[in-house]
Amino acid sequence: MAEKFAVTRLPGFTTIAVVAFVALYAPILTLVAYSFNASESAAAWTGFSLDWYRLAFQNDEVKNAALNSLIVAAFAALISTTVATLAALGTTRRAAFRGQTAIYAVINQPLMVPEIVTAVALLIFFSSVKLATGYTGLGYLILAHAAFCIPFAYLPIRARLEGMDLTLETAASDLYASSWQTFRHVTLPLLMPGVLAGAMLAFVTSLDDVVITEFIKSPGQDTLPTYMLGQLRRQMKPDVNALSALLLAVTLLLLAGVYLLTRKRAD
Amino acid sequence: MKRTLTAMALVLASTGGALAEGELFLYNWGNYTSPDLIKKFEETYDVKVTITDFDSNDTALAKIEAGASGFDLVVPSAGFVGIYAEKGLIQKLDLSRLPNHKNIAPEWMDVAWDPGREYSIPYQWGSTGMSVNGTVYSGDINTSSIFMDPPAELQGKINVIPEMGDVMALATMWAGGDVCSEDPAVMKKVRDALLAAKPKWMSMDYSTVEKMINNDYAATVDWNGSALRSRLGNADVKFGYPKEGYGLWMDNVVLLADAKNVDNAYLFMDFIMLPENAAMLSAFARYANGIAGSEAFMPDDMKGAPELVAPAEFADLGQFVTVCTGKALEYQNAIWTELQK
Repeated sequence: MAEKFAVTRLPGFTTIAVVAFVALYAPILTLVAYSFNASESAAAWTGFSLDWYRLAFQNDEVKNAALNSLIVAAFAALISTTVATLAALGTTRRAAFRGQTAIYAVINQPLMVPEIVTAVALLIFFSSVKLATGYTGLGYLILAHAAFCIPFAYLPIRARLEGMDLTLETAASDLYASSWQTFRHVTLPLLMPGVLAGAMLAFVTSLDDVVITEFIKSPGQDTLPTYMLGQLRRQMKPDVNALSALLLAVTLLLLAGVYLLTRKRAD
Repeated sequence: MKRTLTAMALVLASTGGALAEGELFLYNWGNYTSPDLIKKFEETYDVKVTITDFDSNDTALAKIEAGASGFDLVVPSAGFVGIYAEKGLIQKLDLSRLPNHKNIAPEWMDVAWDPGREYSIPYQWGSTGMSVNGTVYSGDINTSSIFMDPPAELQGKINVIPEMGDVMALATMWAGGDVCSEDPAVMKKVRDALLAAKPKWMSMDYSTVEKMINNDYAATVDWNGSALRSRLGNADVKFGYPKEGYGLWMDNVVLLADAKNVDNAYLFMDFIMLPENAAMLSAFARYANGIAGSEAFMPDDMKGAPELVAPAEFADLGQFVTVCTGKALEYQNAIWTELQK
């Protein structure tokens, strides 16, 4: 039993919590509300309408950008989750070793290096690759996104692994399971919620990216965020609100999935 | 796993690789290219146009400079055309392939950033001036004093766009200097006037159109295209051209040195210099285009609009706003920083 101390009983806790939640969510809720506004106005409510969603869906540029976003995010999530799973196994399923902290730092490097630095470095690097190979497809975006998504996939997987002790795996070995069989039938199924959570986080992270995408996209490779950024210089219209609301909905759905997969079982 | 790899290979192959005949890659500001015009061009020449957006001149230049960008045409602002040319990123135009080059209005032919239009053709241009609600203030609106020394009726109801280059240009010209003045006396006057005026402003914000229409602002420093849209929503809004000097800008189409679809690029440049097509660009972006005779094809609400064509007495008072360098930029940054406090 823990002590009676509870942070929620500190003076001012409720006030500060409410203020923080309002500051976080009021702008987002306003944006979602105005995406249903009947008029072009971003300042005056004139009635409910789904016109902006319809307009956004009829726009070829939007459709193309949405498709690019989904393809890049799906492949980036797949690659980064695979790499992150291997990395997590390699860093946790063994005795502590020298340089472990350094390895963590290397894996989590994209969380620490400013995005613009990575973007400029990738721009220069990929340009020479493009010159040499002539290939200008989505591969560059997918690779770049996979790279910065790795830590987002890695962290939940590692957390899951650290919560799993080795007894079941040891038992499997005692029963003459090969290493592969142990991994395939014991470790991986237990790890799966962490892997899925990591994949969803990676997907969302890729879906949201602006800076790196803006710098390394090739012709015709606008994603939804870079398309929206391009609209801002001129008068903003509620179809951008509608797109933001949709991106928000996808993100929330996936985050809810992560929550369900990673929450502690009651037992 | 095998199936995944195959799918991945398919996606990579389908979206990359060979540039087929009949393509054109345009790199332009976001929300700035008329979809109708692109459709017309595609149908006329059976060329597929791919538009990619940029959000600032600096990003665009950085990407082009890195090489192998894959674009054919780019639309940089006036001050940047010279930089592209100097760095060898764009090619000299073969005017024999541009019969409509003659349609460029005479005043846009010999421009400072590209004398004789050897590298660039006009896309859109506009000015920075004052939008004022005539029912709130009936005095002279053709002056930067509207925001530098606000009249009593407008105090507390003025907006200034948070765009350093444009605002500093207006302020410096108001104080009697050049756009990139290095004169300490002029810049001292600019600083003192701006700091004294700021308490009389309401805000520094980009979104002017809505707020001018709803009478939330009585006046604002404004781009002429926004001023036009404000007037269409609220007939009381008038656009003033400061007599002390007002700002001008122009975006231009240039042909990249490593363009792969040069023939289609020429077709496109010639296409948008035809007055009726230039008018389509303007109808979408709401700015003037620099092509003589295009006004006849513009939408009715843009024909003869006072926001697009300055009255004769102000026509010569516009100055191009360029990115200042050296001492001038230092002054501007220092004043702008102080103004934001």
